[in-house]
Amino acid sequence: MTTMNPQQCEVCPVNKDAKLIRLGLEAGKFEFVVALAGNPNVGKSTVFNSLTGLRQHTGNWPGKTVVRAEGAFSFDGKRYKLVDLPGTYSLLSTSTDEEVARDFILFGQPDVTVVVVDATRLERNLNLVLQVLEITEKAVVCLNLVDEAKRHGIVVDERALMRDLGVPVIPTAARTDQGIPALLQAIAEVATGAFVCKPKRFPIESGVLRKAISKMTAKVQLAFPSLPNPRWVALRLLEGDQRIVEAIKTGELGDLTRQTALEKSLTGKGTKEMNDEHAHAF
Amino acid sequence: MTPFETLLVGTAVLVVCALLVWPRTGLLARWRHATDRSARILIEDALKHLYDYEYRKIPPTLESLAGTLSVTGDEAVKLITRLEALRLVERRNLELCLTQGGRSYALRVIRLHRLWERYLADETNVREAEWHTEAERKEHAMTSDEANSLARKLGDPLFDPHGDPIPTATGVLPSPQGKPLTSLADNEVGGIVHLEDEPAAVYAQLVAVGLVPGMQVRMIGQSPERVVFETAGNEVILAPVVAANVSVVVLPVEKRREGPFKTLSSLAVGERGLVTELSPACRGLHRRRLMDLGIVPGTVIEAELRSPGGDPTAYRIRGATIALRKQQADLIYVSESTGTP
Amino acid sequence: MSTPMHSKPEQILTTASTLRWEIGERLHDATIESLYREASRIAGRAVILKDGKPRFSFDRTLDRLVTSRVFGFPLMFLMLAVVFWITIEGANVPSGLLANFLVDIAHPFLKETGTSLGFPWWLNGFLFDGMYLAMAWVISVMLPPMAIFFPMFTLLEDFGYLPRVAFNLDALFRRAGAHGKQALTMAMGYGCNAAAIISTRVIDSPRERLIAILTNNFALCNGRWPTQILVATIFIGALVPSHLASAASALAVVGVVLIGIFFTFLVSWGLSRTVLSGEVSTFSLELPPYRPPRIWRTLYTSVIDRTLIVLWRAVIWAIPAGAVIWLVSNIHIGGESIAEWTIGSLNPLGILIGLNGVILLAYIIAIPANEIVIPTILMLTVLVTGSAEVGGGAGVMFELDSETATAAVLHAGGWTLLTGINLMLFSLLHNPCSTTLYTIYKETGSARWTWVSALLPLAIAFIVSFFVAQIGRMAGLE
Repeated sequence: MTTMNPQQCEVCPVNKDAKLIRLGLEAGKFEFVVALAGNPNVGKSTVFNSLTGLRQHTGNWPGKTVVRAEGAFSFDGKRYKLVDLPGTYSLLSTSTDEEVARDFILFGQPDVTVVVVDATRLERNLNLVLQVLEITEKAVVCLNLVDEAKRHGIVVDERALMRDLGVPVIPTAARTDQGIPALLQAIAEVATGAFVCKPKRFPIESGVLRKAISKMTAKVQLAFPSLPNPRWVALRLLEGDQRIVEAIKTGELGDLTRQTALEKSLTGKGTKEMNDEHAHAF
Repeated sequence: MTPFETLLVGTAVLVVCALLVWPRTGLLARWRHATDRSARILIEDALKHLYDYEYRKIPPTLESLAGTLSVTGDEAVKLITRLEALRLVERRNLELCLTQGGRSYALRVIRLHRLWERYLADETNVREAEWHTEAERKEHAMTSDEANSLARKLGDPLFDPHGDPIPTATGVLPSPQGKPLTSLADNEVGGIVHLEDEPAAVYAQLVAVGLVPGMQVRMIGQSPERVVFETAGNEVILAPVVAANVSVVVLPVEKRREGPFKTLSSLAVGERGLVTELSPACRGLHRRRLMDLGIVPGTVIEAELRSPGGDPTAYRIRGATIALRKQQADLIYVSESTGTP
Repeated sequence: MSTPMHSKPEQILTTASTLRWEIGERLHDATIESLYREASRIAGRAVILKDGKPRFSFDRTLDRLVTSRVFGFPLMFLMLAVVFWITIEGANVPSGLLANFLVDIAHPFLKETGTSLGFPWWLNGFLFDGMYLAMAWVISVMLPPMAIFFPMFTLLEDFGYLPRVAFNLDALFRRAGAHGKQALTMAMGYGCNAAAIISTRVIDSPRERLIAILTNNFALCNGRWPTQILVATIFIGALVPSHLASAASALAVVGVVLIGIFFTFLVSWGLSRTVLSGEVSTFSLELPPYRPPRIWRTLYTSVIDRTLIVLWRAVIWAIPAGAVIWLVSNIHIGGESIAEWTIGSLNPLGILIGLNGVILLAYIIAIPANEIVIPTILMLTVLVTGSAEVGGGAGVMFELDSETATAAVLHAGGWTLLTGINLMLFSLLHNPCSTTLYTIYKETGSARWTWVSALLPLAIAFIVSFFVAQIGRMAGLE
C-alpha cells in the first residue's frame, strides 16, 4: 500500500541521528527478525506503525489485529523484519491466535521478541510477558501508554521492572513516537548480543506439581542440552500440548537446538531461511 | 387459483419442507439416524459392554448383553457367535472374555466416545443431558485419525466430563478411582471424581442438581429413603440409588474448602470480592478464557457497572474493565475483600 | 549430531504420559495462578500510584453516564441518528456531483470518443453502456456515503464508545443467542454489509460471530437505501395527501428497517438453537479506557482501510455485471433478446410472490451490487414495455431526475402498490450482494456457510413476499 520514501524519514522527529529508516512493506534480505507480541488493545499496532512507517488500522478494540502483519525497518545500518503477532492475553490456551503467536516465537525463532504492555494495566499484561520470557530469552518489554498512565496518576518504575524481569524495559508513548529511539536501541542491543538477557522465571507453588515438573524438565534438558527453555517444554508436555509432542517426535525441537548452536558459530545465516519458511507456513 | 387457495397451498408446501429437512428432528435426519444402526454398531456396542463389565470386574452374561443392546436373546447369541468368529471374544469356562484384539477394539471405541463427550462439554453449547446420546452416535462414525486430531485440539485430555479416564491412543486406561457417595460417613467431606452416565434417567437427575466432577460434597445424613449432602453451599437431596452413581474420594483436611460460597454475580455495584475458586462446572474454553483474563484464586474483583438491562455486569479485574454475563459470574466464587482490584 | 540421543524422544513422551496420569488436569489452573501471583508481585514493586490509587474519574463518570438506565439508550440512539443524518445530508451533494460528472458528462463523451475512434456500435455499447456505466453508478452511489459514514464510525470506535454500546445492548442479543457486539456489526451493515462482515472479527466467539455474519444482510445497506426511499416515495407517499407524503414514505422506510431488525433477532435466535448449537460460544467484553481520537489519522486510515477497499471490490464485481446486463439486452435469439425471454419465463414466479419477471431478472444480474438494481429495473421495464421516450436504449441503465417520470415508467410496467411493498421487503431480505458473499467466504473460509448466507435470506425473502402477496391480494391491494 504505502511504501514510505526513505528520504522523508530523515526529518522525522524520531530520527534525529538519522539511524532509523522505515522500510514499510519492503521485502528482501534481513539481518534480524523481530516479533511484536502483546495483549489486545495496548497500542501494539501503533508501535508497529511507528517502527515501519506503515499505516495499519488501529482501533480502540480488543483484538483488532487478526491477521499477522509484517513490515520492515533499518536501524544503524542493519535491516530488521518486524512481524506483528495477533494480540493475545496468554499463550497457553488453544485459540488459533495464540497458536500463531506461540508457534512464531518458538519455531520462528525471532532474534528479538518485543512485548508491548499497557502501563495502566501492568499486572494483567505481565502475565503474557512472563509467558514469553518462559519461551525465549531474547526479549524487550515496551512499556507503552506511559502518557495515559501519567494522566491517571500511575507511574511505573521501569528500573525495578527491569530488575525483576531480567530484560530491557523501555517506556514509550507510541502515539507521539516518544521513546521509540530508546526502543530501537534496546532491540539492536539484544539482537546483536550486546545486551544479554537473564529473564526471571516464575515459580510454581504446588508441591506435587513442582516434583513432576522438575522430573520432566530434567528429562528434556538431558535430551536437548542447548534448549533455552526446557521447563517450558516440560510444562507443555505435561499439559498434553500435541504440537510440542509432535515437535519432539519429528525432531523439530532437536533441530531448533542445533540451529541455536550453529547460529553462534555461523552468525546465523541459515536460520533466516528457516524463519521465512515458517513465516509462510501460517 | 384464488389468492386464498394459493396461500393454503404455499403454507402446506412450507410445512412439508420444514418437516422433511429440519435439522436433527426432521424426517430426513431421523431416517438417516435409524439406518445408521448397522451390524458394525451392534458389534462395537457389544464390545463396549463386555469391556465395561471387565473393567468393573463383573462377569458379563448373554442376558446382560441383550439387555444393554435392547436385542432379543437369539440375536445376542448370534452376535456372540459372530464376535467369536472375528476372534474378538472367547469363552473361558462358559464365561465371556474379550481377546486382546477385542479389548483394544473396545478401548478404541471408548476413546472416541469419551473424547467426543469431552469435546461437547468443553467446546460447544450442547446441553449436558445430550452429551451421552450424541457421543453414542459419533463413536461409530469417527475414524481413529479424526479422534487423534480432536485430541490434539483439546490438548489430549485425560478425563471425560463425567470423570471417566479417556483411554490413550496406545490403549492405556488407569483403573477406576473413588467409592460411592453413599459410603461417606456423616460430616465426612469428599470430592466428586466420577458421575455414572448410564442409565440416562438417573444421570439426568444428577445433572439437574448440578453435580460436576471436581466438586466438594459434605455428607449431612442418609436414610434408606434419601441421602442428604451439601455442595457449594447448597443442600442436595437424592434417592440412595441415584446417589450411588456418584463416586467420591475422601478429601484430607488441607484440601477442603470452607464456605461461605458467595458468587461473583451476587456482588452489588461498588462491592469487592476476592476470588476463591472457579466452579468445576466452568470448563474448557470458558474456563481458560476467564483465567486468561486474570480471574484466578486470589484476584480481587470489583463490580463496576451494571448494564441497563441488568446483565451483563462490568467488573474491574486486574486493572481492566471486563463485562461478564450473569451466567459466567455465577460460576465464580468469591469471599469478602477490602483489597484493591 | 544428535545420533546418540535417538531413543530419547520416545522416553520423554512416555515419562510425560505417566506423569500426566499422576498429576491429573490441575496443571493449567496451577500455572496460570502462579503466573498471576508472580505478575502481581512484580507489578506491586514497580507501580507507583501518585495519590495512593489510580485516577480514572473521567472514565468512570463517562461510563456511568453512557451506560445509565436513564441516559444510556437515548444517548445511543441520538448518536446513531446524528451519524445517519450527517451521512445522508452530507452525501447528497457529492453523490449528485459524481453522478452528474460520471453519467451525464463523461458517459456521452466516452461514447463519442469511441465513435470517433471508429468502434463498432456493439463494442461501444458493451464497453461504455455496459461496463463503464455500471461502474459509474456504483461509484457515485456508494463512495460519498461510505467516505462519510466510515470515518465517523471509526472515530466513535477509537474513542472507545462502541464497546459501551455493545455492553448496553448485550441483554437483548443474549436472548437471541448472540453477542452484544453484533449491535455494532449491524450498525456497520447500514453502511455496507461487506465492510460489516469484516468488522465481525471483533466478536471473538465463533458461534456468535457466525450468527452476526449470517444475519448481517438484514441491516439495510447503503446500496439499498435509495431503492427503499424511491419506491416508498412513489407507492406509499402516493397514498396520503401530498403534504404528508414525505413523512409517510420516511415512516415506511423506518418500518422496513425495523422489520430488518426483527428478522435479525428471529434468525439469530433460530440459528443459535438449531444448526449452530454445536459451535463454540464464549463471552467476554472488555471496556477499554477512553482515548482521545486522532482525527486526521482516522480519516486517512478509514478511507484507505474500509472505503477504498470495499469500493474496489464492488467496482470489480460491477464491471462484469454491467457487461452481462448489456449483453442480455442486446443479444437476440429468435427475434427476442435474452432479457425479454428470461423475463417472460420468470414472470409467473415473479407474479406469484407479488413482484414480476423484470424485478427478478434485475436481482439476478445485479447481484454484484445493489446500487444498480433500480437503473437495471428501469432499463428492463422500458425494454419490455417498448416505450422509447425515456432511457438510452437496450442495455443502457438509467435513472430519471423526477420521481413522477420514474413512477410513470413503473406504472406502465404494470406495477401496483403491492409490487412496491413487496419490492421493499424483497430488497431488505434477499441474498447479500456478491461482494459481501465473497467477503463472507474469505472470512469464514467455508463454502458451506457462504451458501447458507446466500440461500437462507433468499428463502426468507421468497416466503415473506409470497405471503404478503397473497394476503395483499385477499385484501384487494391489486
